[in-house]
Amino acid sequence: MENLLANCVERNLSQFMFTNAIFFCERLLAEFPTEVNLQLLARCYLSNSQAYSAYYILKGSKTPQSRYLFAFSCFKLDLLGEAEAALLPGEDYVEEVPGGAAGHYLLGLVYRYAGRKNSSIEQFRMALSVDPFCWEAYRELCSLGAAEEASTVFGNVALQRLQETCVTQSKNFSEGANTDRLTDSDKASKDTGLWRTEHVPGENQQDLKIRQLGADIPPDTDRQLSTNGWDLNTPSPVISQVLDAPPPLLHKNRFRPAVEGSLMSVHGGRGIKFSEEMSAEAPEGSGRRRSARIAARKKIPMSQSFGKDSHRLQLSPSESNCVPSLSSMIEKCRIQSSKEATTSGQSISDIGSSVDDEENKNPSESSPDRSTLISGISEVLSLLKILGDGHRHLLMYNCQEALLVFQKLSLKQYNTQWVLSQVGKAYFELQDYFNADSVFTLAHQKYSYALEGMDTYSTVLYHLKEEMRLGYLAQELISVDRQSPESWCAVGNCYSLRKDHDSALKMFQRAIQLNERFTYAHTLCGHEFAALEEYEDAERCYRRALSIDTRHYNAWYGLGMTYLHQEKFEFAQHQFQLALKINPRSSVIMCYNGIALHESKRNDEALKMMEKAKLTDAKNPLPKYYKANILASLGDYHNAQKELEELKECAPQESSVHALLGKIYNQLELYDKAVLHFGIALDLNPSPSDAVKIKTYMGRLIVPNELETDENL
Amino acid sequence: MATESSESEEEGKIRGGNDKLDIDDDLREMGKNAAWSVSSCKPGNGVGTLRDDNIETYWQSDGLQPHLINIQFQKKVKLQLVVLYVDFKLDESYTPSKISIRAGDGFHNLKEIKSVELVKPTGWVCLSLSGTDPRETFVNTFMLQIAILSNHLNGRDTHIRQIKVYGPRPNPIPRQPFQFTSMEFLTYSTLR
Repeated sequence: MENLLANCVERNLSQFMFTNAIFFCERLLAEFPTEVNLQLLARCYLSNSQAYSAYYILKGSKTPQSRYLFAFSCFKLDLLGEAEAALLPGEDYVEEVPGGAAGHYLLGLVYRYAGRKNSSIEQFRMALSVDPFCWEAYRELCSLGAAEEASTVFGNVALQRLQETCVTQSKNFSEGANTDRLTDSDKASKDTGLWRTEHVPGENQQDLKIRQLGADIPPDTDRQLSTNGWDLNTPSPVISQVLDAPPPLLHKNRFRPAVEGSLMSVHGGRGIKFSEEMSAEAPEGSGRRRSARIAARKKIPMSQSFGKDSHRLQLSPSESNCVPSLSSMIEKCRIQSSKEATTSGQSISDIGSSVDDEENKNPSESSPDRSTLISGISEVLSLLKILGDGHRHLLMYNCQEALLVFQKLSLKQYNTQWVLSQVGKAYFELQDYFNADSVFTLAHQKYSYALEGMDTYSTVLYHLKEEMRLGYLAQELISVDRQSPESWCAVGNCYSLRKDHDSALKMFQRAIQLNERFTYAHTLCGHEFAALEEYEDAERCYRRALSIDTRHYNAWYGLGMTYLHQEKFEFAQHQFQLALKINPRSSVIMCYNGIALHESKRNDEALKMMEKAKLTDAKNPLPKYYKANILASLGDYHNAQKELEELKECAPQESSVHALLGKIYNQLELYDKAVLHFGIALDLNPSPSDAVKIKTYMGRLIVPNELETDENL
Repeated sequence: MATESSESEEEGKIRGGNDKLDIDDDLREMGKNAAWSVSSCKPGNGVGTLRDDNIETYWQSDGLQPHLINIQFQKKVKLQLVVLYVDFKLDESYTPSKISIRAGDGFHNLKEIKSVELVKPTGWVCLSLSGTDPRETFVNTFMLQIAILSNHLNGRDTHIRQIKVYGPRPNPIPRQPFQFTSMEFLTYSTLR
């Protein structure tokens, strides 16, 4: 009966019938109150977004699997301290972080949320070393500014590690012969032992790579078929979480770089929801993969210990869905590995060595396997290298390099939502809004359901002042998902463009309510407060954004602007300096830094800064303008005039250029030219207050003229 | 020099009013940065009702004419428009008729800059503070005082439902002499 119930629960979980699963799991737990069943129930609760229930039932559990699940529930409930305590190795028998790479990743996130940057970096690095496919850990490192080059992370060391883990998997596979229904006596040993399996962490993350876009698994997985009788051709677009390392590797072509969607991300509340279900499923159900689970968008499990449920194995062909042969093979693999685990003891190295022994025993059988595996692994790693490099460059704001790197991708990979939004962001950071617009439009057309990066798209449209398109985008995004902060950011940008700052503020606050850790929403709130001239509130918002992500240079820039408005020039200059440290290629920030310097009377530095800005981005006309302004205020009218004349050629339609020229000619006593330029400035539609100013200047000019010429009044 | 005609323009009469408040994009409401006070009020209908964005609530004065509404800023601001919501149909003899707008540095040196007579207004009434000179689109002042000199039907006290004060938008880039107008300049002028 136990197995029957367990089967039922697994089936329900895989088909998203969570309440049914919970019901049956409760019966199961009542009849057979074991740790494993408890973990299964916790998984059901976590899948049903009931982290609090999972928390309560798992409180005090000591097995690594339970500790991982418990830590996960704590994380969801924002109980960071308890999550950390659960994940850290204690003084008892557990020597390491449960959950392998996923555990390290979770611990890293806990540290990051708690603001302990160095510890989090350490944990992410460990996650990557345990499992090079833990892409999200790499992303977090990039966002913290502490990522190493992708080629080292996804390089030879990773290749070797993956080889070991994958090869052992397939090894066990080929050797797994008969399935025994493991007795309960085996269960306990398996539970703890299996956590130690080295291959376990490795494989999990690959499943995560499986696109949330629901990649199909085309049937070219026959490489393995011959040797193991493994039918990797799961029916429906079901990416079985049963699949260990080898199968996902073979599917690398279907990998789209939307990996990041699979794991928790700093931005997405949605992402977190996703991962919750993922990890919930993983530890519990890993062994029970009799039914290949639909690893759809939200269901990619982080299988921690595959062998967990092997004792529940019931290898009858009467599986409901999916591939019995596959699952049975996997189970055999589990059992094998678990046996090895238990025999070899509790250290990974032991297992490794035992595996190695086996390898030596049967080299011939597995060599065809091995070579395909290895080639598969290296292909995936090379893909990850490119993506990782691109992402790292983008977050270090080396946008040109990022663009070049992304160009190296195959067309298929390039045209995926994640890559396109990265490319769009790169153009955005370069202030190349037209190109950003075209890339984002393409991304949105092709993938209108994927909302990552759409907040940046809405900002691009805001910059381009495309009211209609922005409104349309906002409407579309809201209709896709009302619960996503990106949609509300787009709506807020729409209102802001229409200068309705109060409404825009409300929209951004809604975005924050949906996801407290969505940094950009905080920054946008700050911008709106600044537009409403409520500078204390603006500062508060910017600082909140910075507390979440110190490298969010927009918030530093925002702070600088508020200080500039409040005429606290030294503070402003300091903030701009910090922003420049993070993004040293932003000519806009350099200009503002220069303005702040000029106002702080550090004019030489100001001029140098303007020069630097000119060099950094030749397309930006403003450094010349600001420089001319500074020179004019210093009295150096000739040079100022020169700058402006140059500028006039590039931007003949800009009213302020002519107005400033007019002022300068006035000072140079070239009154005719001054009048000319003031006139042009007025023709070019200046703002009303400027029009008044210009008219005043003109009025003052005409007087000396009239004194010279004898005009009839 | 048509002084007579300019006088009659100054003492212009405004009839009716708008139901909807339609303000140019390049103006923004400045009342938030000001201290508002009134010469007198009936309990429950105080100065807060003038700024609560609710045309159901009104300020009712309780003293001798002229009734005064004082708007004081911390620094000199440019103002272009004063908008009142008054309704003859609802308030009848409480509806203001002759209004004088004065500006200055403080109570001691207010000078009248605008005088207007309302004739049965029914909604938002816009009073422009611009002078005749195109260079005087704005009034640059510390303080504005709206004086209700008389009401319709010779009423003693007055009702005003809402007041808004508008001025030009400041340069989004601080400390610059002129605002940018062209797309290229605007694109590079801010980050978001």
